[in-house]
Amino acid sequence: MARTLIRRIAFGVIAILGVAVLAFLLEFVVPGDPARAIAPRAQSAAVLENIRIQLHLNRPLIVQFADYFGELFRGNLGTSYVQRQSVTSLIMPRLATTGWLALAGVVAEVIIGGALGVLSTLYARVRAVVAAVNLTLLSLPQFVVGLVLLLIFGFRLHLAPVTGGAGPAEIVLPALTLGLVGAPWYAQIVADQMADSLASPYVRTAVAKGLPDRYILWRHVLRNVLSPAITMIGMDLGAYLSGVVTVEVVFGWPGIGLLAVDSLQNLDRPVVMGTVIVGAVAVVAFNLIADVLRMYVDPRTREEPA
Amino acid sequence: MRKTRWPGTLIAGSALLLVFTAIAIAAPAFGNPLHQNLLSGLTPSGLPLGLSWAHPLGTDALGRSELARLAYGIRTSMIVAVVSNVTSIAVGAAVGLAAGFFRGPVEAVLMRITDVGLALPYTLAALVIAGLMTAGLTRVIVIITALFWAYPARLVYGEVLRLRHRGFVESAEAMGASGTSIVARHLAPHMFPLLVTYSPLNAASAVVFEATLSYLGAGINPPTASLGNMISDGQSALSYAPHLLLVPAVAILLITMSFLLLGEGLKARNPDLKRVSWLGR
Repeated sequence: MARTLIRRIAFGVIAILGVAVLAFLLEFVVPGDPARAIAPRAQSAAVLENIRIQLHLNRPLIVQFADYFGELFRGNLGTSYVQRQSVTSLIMPRLATTGWLALAGVVAEVIIGGALGVLSTLYARVRAVVAAVNLTLLSLPQFVVGLVLLLIFGFRLHLAPVTGGAGPAEIVLPALTLGLVGAPWYAQIVADQMADSLASPYVRTAVAKGLPDRYILWRHVLRNVLSPAITMIGMDLGAYLSGVVTVEVVFGWPGIGLLAVDSLQNLDRPVVMGTVIVGAVAVVAFNLIADVLRMYVDPRTREEPA
Repeated sequence: MRKTRWPGTLIAGSALLLVFTAIAIAAPAFGNPLHQNLLSGLTPSGLPLGLSWAHPLGTDALGRSELARLAYGIRTSMIVAVVSNVTSIAVGAAVGLAAGFFRGPVEAVLMRITDVGLALPYTLAALVIAGLMTAGLTRVIVIITALFWAYPARLVYGEVLRLRHRGFVESAEAMGASGTSIVARHLAPHMFPLLVTYSPLNAASAVVFEATLSYLGAGINPPTASLGNMISDGQSALSYAPHLLLVPAVAILLITMSFLLLGEGLKARNPDLKRVSWLGR
């Protein structure tokens, strides 16, 4: 188990570094002059040249590359070109804001997806309805679901704010959007695992022993759903923390995705790099945490992967 | 011989896709998507028209026929679905085959690159790439290919590892067949069922992703119609002209759904391919 973990961590670090290098190189190819973005009305070339010297943009790519990654290994993400403060201090509060949304979104998708999955397994009559709901939700992009919710609950029923921001009232619709779009995946996992469990000898034994249905359901059937659900939750938390860009844009939720979009437009390279790296770390870290948790709850997954 | 069963999902999906293909081909028949009818295409106070006989799906904020834009938007979606599906799966299959067959350093390098591809924050990476190119179909297809190849690469790699030591591969090796000829003649054909089953799911993701990119202004920009940028255009009119959201939204829903139905139908016909799942959101 320790070997598996070390291998996974090593591959994770390689993947994060790969993403960072790729992002760094890509940003240099993006047309546009950061100096011009900082001082859009600067008249003299000297002013622009000064900015470039200050930001070390006049040095060769390889020197800038070495500088950036040297600092990165010391945990320093650099300073924003536009906001004149450290990238870390810009990203951290945004990461927390996105974190709340990610958490609320995962809770919503687990509840909605879990309910759909359990309903379709236990009640044959609603199975077709659940399948249709799943297919519909799978077919819709996040931003469409978000806008439809905004139209219904914001503009028609006046139940939710339409102006954007980060607060307890503002989180409901974006979290519900993530929940609805993610739900079919959980519904599928729950339904598959429950079907497997219900057909298994240990459930037959439990029924033969005369255990109450409810006990069997919670104790023997739903417990088995936990292991794949944990993997899925880890994947989602990582993916959402790396920026739920579209949902944040639709609802004006001031998280890390919105910061990334703004920084891309301002050619604020250090901030873009910071968000991409933090995003990749989130993806890798949460997948890893999920795997460890899964090994903890499900002894069958402790073997070396084939 | 057992009679071949055609699952209902497969029939429904294919039928819907035929309709959308027909609309995509016949898009010009639905009117001019760029013509701004500022006199009769807007209300006297300059707002978009609702649904009427003259304008079956209403008009947008510039007085353009929503029906004509919808037809061209569907055309865009279908082109992206077909082209980027082929390109991303081709790249993924090549990487997966090479990594699975040649093993050693080739495998290590290719699969670590694939890990990077899978760890990329999708939307952010797409926005960065979008900054490199001018708006249009090519940009969307390049972005989707750059982000969507990694998953099929994984699928194919796993399949090659499974077949690598089967008799037919080892016999070919024993006969002295070269590596490339084993890959091309013996392994690649075995990937076919897997990839055919995966491709509608991949196409569905591509349709969703194209709409998302164009919505964010990182895909196809106006005046060229795309279902995503139509929604982006209509967003500011959400409170008084909801059809500008709902019309393209229903089109995205139905196109994606028909690809998913097709994919489900294919999976139902090949039960051993059940593990093929859908990646995108």
